[in-house]
Amino acid sequence: MKKLLTLLAFTAPLSAQAQEAGELVSFVSCPVYRDTDQGRKSGCWLTTDAASGQQWDVSHSPYKPNWDYAIFVEGRVSEEGEDACGAPVLEPVRTSRLLDIDCTRHMIPAEGYPGRFFIAPERYITPLARRPEAPEGPFEERTFYAFFEFDRDFLVYQYSDFIVQQAAYWIEAAQPRRLVVTGYAATDPITVSGVELAESPEIAQARAENVALTLSRLLPGMEIVTRWETGSQPMDLSDADTIPGQSQRRVEIKVEF
Amino acid sequence: MQAQNRTKARTMRERTLGGNLALGAAAGAVLLASAYASASEEGDGLDRWWAPGEGRTFPELLDYDNEHGTLRTLLVGGPLETDGHPFFEPIGPNGRACVTCHQPADGMSLSTASVRAQWDATGGADPLFAAYDGSNCPTLPQGERASHSLLLDRGLIRIERPWPPAQWNGAGVEPDFAIEVVRDPNGCNSGAEYGPEAGVISVYRRPRPIGNMKYLLAVGFDLDPKQGVALPRDPETGVYLSGNLMADNRVSTLRDQMFDAGSTHLGMLDRMSDEDRHRIEAFELSIFVAQQRGGGGEVDDGGATGGPATLRDSEPGELGALGFPVWGEFAAWEEIDEEDRARLTPEEVAFRESVARGARIFRERTFLVSDAAGLTTQMGFGNPFRVACKMCHNMTRMGNDVAPGQVDLGTTTLPFADHFDDLPLFRITCLNDPHPYYGRQILTYDPGFALTTGRCADVGKITLQSMRGLAARAPYFSNGSAQDLHAVVDYYDRRYNIGYSEQEKQDLVNLMSVL
Ligand code: HEC
Ligand code: HEC
Repeated sequence: MKKLLTLLAFTAPLSAQAQEAGELVSFVSCPVYRDTDQGRKSGCWLTTDAASGQQWDVSHSPYKPNWDYAIFVEGRVSEEGEDACGAPVLEPVRTSRLLDIDCTRHMIPAEGYPGRFFIAPERYITPLARRPEAPEGPFEERTFYAFFEFDRDFLVYQYSDFIVQQAAYWIEAAQPRRLVVTGYAATDPITVSGVELAESPEIAQARAENVALTLSRLLPGMEIVTRWETGSQPMDLSDADTIPGQSQRRVEIKVEF
Repeated sequence: MQAQNRTKARTMRERTLGGNLALGAAAGAVLLASAYASASEEGDGLDRWWAPGEGRTFPELLDYDNEHGTLRTLLVGGPLETDGHPFFEPIGPNGRACVTCHQPADGMSLSTASVRAQWDATGGADPLFAAYDGSNCPTLPQGERASHSLLLDRGLIRIERPWPPAQWNGAGVEPDFAIEVVRDPNGCNSGAEYGPEAGVISVYRRPRPIGNMKYLLAVGFDLDPKQGVALPRDPETGVYLSGNLMADNRVSTLRDQMFDAGSTHLGMLDRMSDEDRHRIEAFELSIFVAQQRGGGGEVDDGGATGGPATLRDSEPGELGALGFPVWGEFAAWEEIDEEDRARLTPEEVAFRESVARGARIFRERTFLVSDAAGLTTQMGFGNPFRVACKMCHNMTRMGNDVAPGQVDLGTTTLPFADHFDDLPLFRITCLNDPHPYYGRQILTYDPGFALTTGRCADVGKITLQSMRGLAARAPYFSNGSAQDLHAVVDYYDRRYNIGYSEQEKQDLVNLMSVL
C-alpha cells in the first residue's frame, strides 16, 4: 500500500534548540537534492525533520536517497560545519529508502555551496590486483558483521561489500572448519515521524543467503551453515558506526575452528 | 618529411615488438610500405570484405582505412593461415563464418557501410543475409531489400531469446514480469512459431566487437557492486566471470558464447568440437584492435600512447579512478611542444588538442544522471548523482565497465529511446515490486539484461561495450540507434540534459574517433 507522507507544516518553534553534537536523531522525510558540482559524486542531500523543523545534511550516508521516495534517517549530529551543503551535518548517518512512501522530486541549485569533492571512503574494496598479504595467525574463533539498508539484503558498495571482502581474506588465511552465517531483521515495529517501520521477516533469510552466496564464491569449498532470526536488537558493533538501528540490520559471520 | 620518418620508425619498432622481426631501419620501412600498400588496396576494393573460407593469411599487422583515418589490428603470434580455421571457415550449413559478422575492417564488428556494400555486390545473396537472423524475420520474402532493412539500415542482427529464461550463472530463473507484444512490425514476435507465447522473443542487436578480449574478460574486483554480491565463477575453470559479454550477459565465457553463436548465427545443429572451440578462443584472445591514425596523425606519436600496441602490452582490468586515467593515452597532447608543432600541420595540432580536451571532458565534465537502473538504484550512489562519461566507462584503456556493466541508459526503452516503427515493441508488467523508475508497466524495444535474469528491475539494462575501434564500426549502441559519433554525444546530451557546447561535442567526437 502506498502511503503519502504528509509533511507537517513547518510550525516548529523558532526556539527549536540546537541539537548537541553526538545526539542521535531519527525521522522519516522527503530528500532534497542540492546540485553542487565539485566533480563526480559531489552533490548534496538535504532533508528536514518535520518535528523540529531542522534541515540536515545527510550526504555522508553510505546508501544515499532516491528523490522519488521518502527516507528513514538515522544519524548523529556532527560538528562538521554547514559550509559544504548549507545545513548542519549528520555523520555518521544512514538514509534508507522507503519505496512505499512517494515524494515529489525536489532539486535545488547549489546557491553558492560547493558540495564535497569525492574522496574514496576508507571502506573501499581492494582490487584483485592489489590484494594485501594474507593476515598472519594465530587464528581463533571470530565473528564478522555486515550491515544493510532498511529492509534490504544488498551488500552496499564501499560499505558492506568491503567488510565481507576483508572477512573473506581473513577466513581464507585462517582455514576454519566452517562458517555460520546468521541473518537478522529488525521486525519489531517502531514509529518514526508517525510512520510505523518494521523490517519484513523474510529479509533475515535473504540477508543470510546473500552473504552465504558471496562467501561461497569468495571461498570455494568452504562449509557454510545459514541461519536467520527476526526481532533483532541493537548491539555495539564498530562497523555500525554508533547507529543502533544499523546494528540491528546485520548479518553475523561466525568463524568456527 | 621529418614527420614521416618518425612515423615509420615508430611503426617499425612496433613490428619488432609484436613479432620476431629484427630488421634494419631500411628493411623495416620497405616491409611496412608494402603492408600499407596491400591494406589500402584492400581498403579501396571489395577485398575489405572477408568472405568465409577464402583461405587468406591474417597478417600480424593489418590496417584498414575508414572515414576517420586508419584502423589497425594486431595479431599476437601472427600471421595466421585462415585456411581451415574455424573462425574463418563456414563450419555450419548456412555458409557463414564468425568473420562474416566480425570483420577486420570494421573493428571486428560489422558496419552498415559494409553491410550495404555486400548487399550491392551480391544482390543480397551473401550468407550474411541468411533468413534466420540476417533478415527482419525468416517468414518474410527473402529476396527483397525491405526484408533485410534492419540489417541494412542499422546493422542489426535478429537475436532469438527463449521465454521464459530458465537458467543464468548456474541458478534457476523465475521471471517476476509478464511480457506482451504491443507491436510486431516484422512478424517475429507473433504467430505459431514466434513471440513470447511460442516461447521465443526476437530482439535486434549490433554485433559486438571481438578483439581486446582480455579487457572484457578482466575482473577488477571480486564483488559486483551493482548486484551487491560476489562475482560468480566459471564452474569449469573456477575463474571469476567478468559479466561483460553480450548486450544481455546471457553468457559469461567465450566458450558458452561460441555455443550460442554456433547454434544461432551459423545454424549448427551439433555442438562445436572442442578443437574448433580452442582455436577460436585462441584467436579471439590474440587480436588487438584500435584506431592507429586519425585527424592528428599517428595516435602513438608526440608522447601519446593510443593504438592497439599499447592495448596489447597493458594489463587489463584497472579502474581508471585508481590508476592510469581513462584516455590518459592522450594526455601528452594537452601541451604540444614546439618541435612537434613545427613538424605537424596546424590542422593536426588543432585536432590533437581537441582529442586531449575530449579526454578531459570524458573524465571531468560532469552532468546529472538519474534513473539509470544498475547505478542509481542499489549501489548507494543515490538518484540522481553527478558523473562524467568515465563513471560508467571506467576501465583504463578500454572504456568498458570494470564491474559487470549492465546499466539502463534508456537506449532501448521508452520514453528515453529514440522512436522506431520497425522494431518490435514489448509491454512488460512487473508482477511483484514495480520498476523503480518506469513503474509497473514498461514499454521497451529490447528488455536487455531482463531477458537473462527474468527480473523487471533489469529491463533496459545493456552491457557496456568496448570503446575501441569505434571509427570503423558505425552505427552505435546495441540497437544501432546512433548513426555516427555525433549522434552518440547528442543522445547523452538529450538524455541527461547536459548542455554540451558545440566545441565540447566535437572534442568528444574527435576523442572517440581515435580510440
Ligand atoms: C550473423 C552475425 C554473427 C555471426 C555469424 C557471429 N556473430 Fe558474434 N555476435 C553477433 C551479435 C549480433 C552479437 C551481439 C549479441 C548480443 O549482444 O546479444 C555478437 C557477439 C559476439 C561476442 C561477444 C562480444 C562482446 O563484447 O560481448 C563474441 C565473443 C562473438 N560474437 C563471437 C562470435 C564467434 C566466435 C562466432 C562464430 C562461431 C560469431 N560470433 C559469429 C553477430 C554474429
Ligand atoms: C550511466 C552510465 C553511462 C554514462 C555516464 C555514459 N555511458 Fe556510454 N554507455 C553506457 C551504456 C549502458 C552503454 C550501452 C548502451 C547500448 O548499447 O544501448 C553505453 C554505450 C556507449 C557507446 C557505444 C559503444 C558501441 O559500441 O556502440 C559510446 C560510444 C558511449 N557509450 C560513449 C559515451 C560518452 C561519450 C559518454 C559521456 C557523454 C558516456 N558514454 C557516458 C553507459 C554510460
